[in-house]
Amino acid sequence: MHVIVATDGSKQSLLAAQHLMAFADPARISDVTVVAVIRPLAAVAFADELSDVDHPQTTSEALSFRQAATNALAVIAAEFEGWGPTVHQQILSGSPANEIIKAAEAADAGLVVVAAGSRGLSETVLLGSTAQRVQHYAPCPVLVVRPAPRKRRRPS
Amino acid sequence: MADATIDPPSELDPGGDRELKRSITGKLLFFYVLGVVLGSGIYVLIGLVAGAVGGAFWIAFAVGVTVATITGLAYAELVTKYPQAAGAALYVHKAFRNHPLTFLITVSMLSASFAAAGSLATGFAAYFKQVWDLPPALLVTLVFIILLAIVNFIGITESVVTNMVMTLVEVAGLVIVMIIGIVYIGQGKADFGILVDFQTKESALLGVIAGVALAFFAMTGFENAANVAEETVDPARTFPRALVGGMIAAGVIYVLVAMVSALTVPIGTLQKSDAALLEVVKAGILPVPVGFMTILFACIAMVAITNTTLVAVVTQSRILYGMSKEDVVPAPFGKIHAARRSPWFALIFAALVVCALLISGWLLNRAGVGVDVVARLATVTVIFTLFIYALVIISALKLRGQDEDDDTFIAPTWLLLIGILGNLVLLGYVLYDDPASLYWVAALLLLGLALFLLEHFFGKRDRPAGRGRGDRIARNEA
Repeated sequence: MHVIVATDGSKQSLLAAQHLMAFADPARISDVTVVAVIRPLAAVAFADELSDVDHPQTTSEALSFRQAATNALAVIAAEFEGWGPTVHQQILSGSPANEIIKAAEAADAGLVVVAAGSRGLSETVLLGSTAQRVQHYAPCPVLVVRPAPRKRRRPS
Repeated sequence: MADATIDPPSELDPGGDRELKRSITGKLLFFYVLGVVLGSGIYVLIGLVAGAVGGAFWIAFAVGVTVATITGLAYAELVTKYPQAAGAALYVHKAFRNHPLTFLITVSMLSASFAAAGSLATGFAAYFKQVWDLPPALLVTLVFIILLAIVNFIGITESVVTNMVMTLVEVAGLVIVMIIGIVYIGQGKADFGILVDFQTKESALLGVIAGVALAFFAMTGFENAANVAEETVDPARTFPRALVGGMIAAGVIYVLVAMVSALTVPIGTLQKSDAALLEVVKAGILPVPVGFMTILFACIAMVAITNTTLVAVVTQSRILYGMSKEDVVPAPFGKIHAARRSPWFALIFAALVVCALLISGWLLNRAGVGVDVVARLATVTVIFTLFIYALVIISALKLRGQDEDDDTFIAPTWLLLIGILGNLVLLGYVLYDDPASLYWVAALLLLGLALFLLEHFFGKRDRPAGRGRGDRIARNEA
């Protein structure tokens, strides 16, 4: 089975990848493709909150969202290293939900893993999120990893 | 589509497009440029330009468009060398390697788009009044700016299809104006003498330069095409064509629309009108009810202005986000909303700055100072952009011979020299003509400086231990 793991550069997407590994049997998975989608017209086309490379390229002089996406992909891909399945990385460009679904179709995927970013209000009030759209239109089962319910915020 | 396997880790060859899918084709980029440029001026400023020059004001547009397009050539050359989103800041940094200068350029880019958004919002309110007269103009502008921030936060306009539809609507509005012109000429009523008529206050030359400086605002925004440089398919081939093509197309449309306006409406009427292009429609030349046409056209104008302002808002939040990542402004500007993946703090801050500009203009007017907010903020934008453009052209010339390969687009040197001259002449004139704009320029620059100082003195915690500010930049250059 081919599994697509999507990352938007968020910590939650790393948790989603780890969640997959927590229960899935690597012997039954042939390939894992980690996918990052850049949104060219968005205010921030790709925000990498994963790599501690300290964003070497995302400065105002050399703002490179591709570099940010590459760094985030590397972090997720490293999680799967040594787990068993062959790991691929893909950077795509466009609307996240569309591109993830297209990647799933192209790879004939058996599962798509996505993170849902928010809890509560903003998810219901604002228009459909990427996770919701992938859930609706994916050609295969979808694992949506939601954040744990909010605990009392630690004083920072 | 080929994949990069994990071994060697994460090597997505940045040069080879096999592994990377880019989504902005030449056609999409062309429409992006056309849309951004068209919204930013002709709907807002045509009356002011007409007032400055007289019936021959199409010449001002022609000259303004030419200077801007030459600058566009320099951008095209630099984008093919450095296809990244940062635009002018990156080019100046590569050329001069001088941190204060890079900071100044970055803050100038930010300030230019703040001022542009303010001017555009005021123009939006003028057309909005034609549809619904009740709400006060200041309220309309503030709500407009806040709504655009929200729209950007949610990410509705990220769709390239939406972008293309908006551009087509913009073009449709100007096509209506041109049809009116053709009908009018067909009726044999046109007096072509008006097209060479100068009604300038001082000499004809100064009048034309004044008009050019204003008309120049109509072309600003094209530099935001760098926003999507990284996502452009085959940028070395596509980018110069789409950018310059989009600018030339916009320029031709501008000149034709300016001619039609001069032919169909008395210059005095154009000059006095807040929504001058509506006067062409109101002249009742087409056999369609004027009321219907007025509302239709006002809506088209609002779409056009919205499109351009949206891109300005995206640019503002991107610059703030990038500066925060580099530790030159406080860390909250780099905060990304968990679900929306938008820089929410930067968006709110940018909206507040634009609102503050609008409220300042309103307060000054109430205090009896008498500021034309559209013209003043347009002038401020033009001062910043002329400075940026001149420096970008100089950077392009200074970077000749570096980072070039067979695909690099090289603009004709003599054109670039004319471009520098044109930008500097205009900059000199604008400063001479409207020195009061410098207060606004200074205020915006001070705001940038304040953010820098805030981060400098209070923002050290988020930097890894043992690393100085700017170290990352030094490493990048290695």
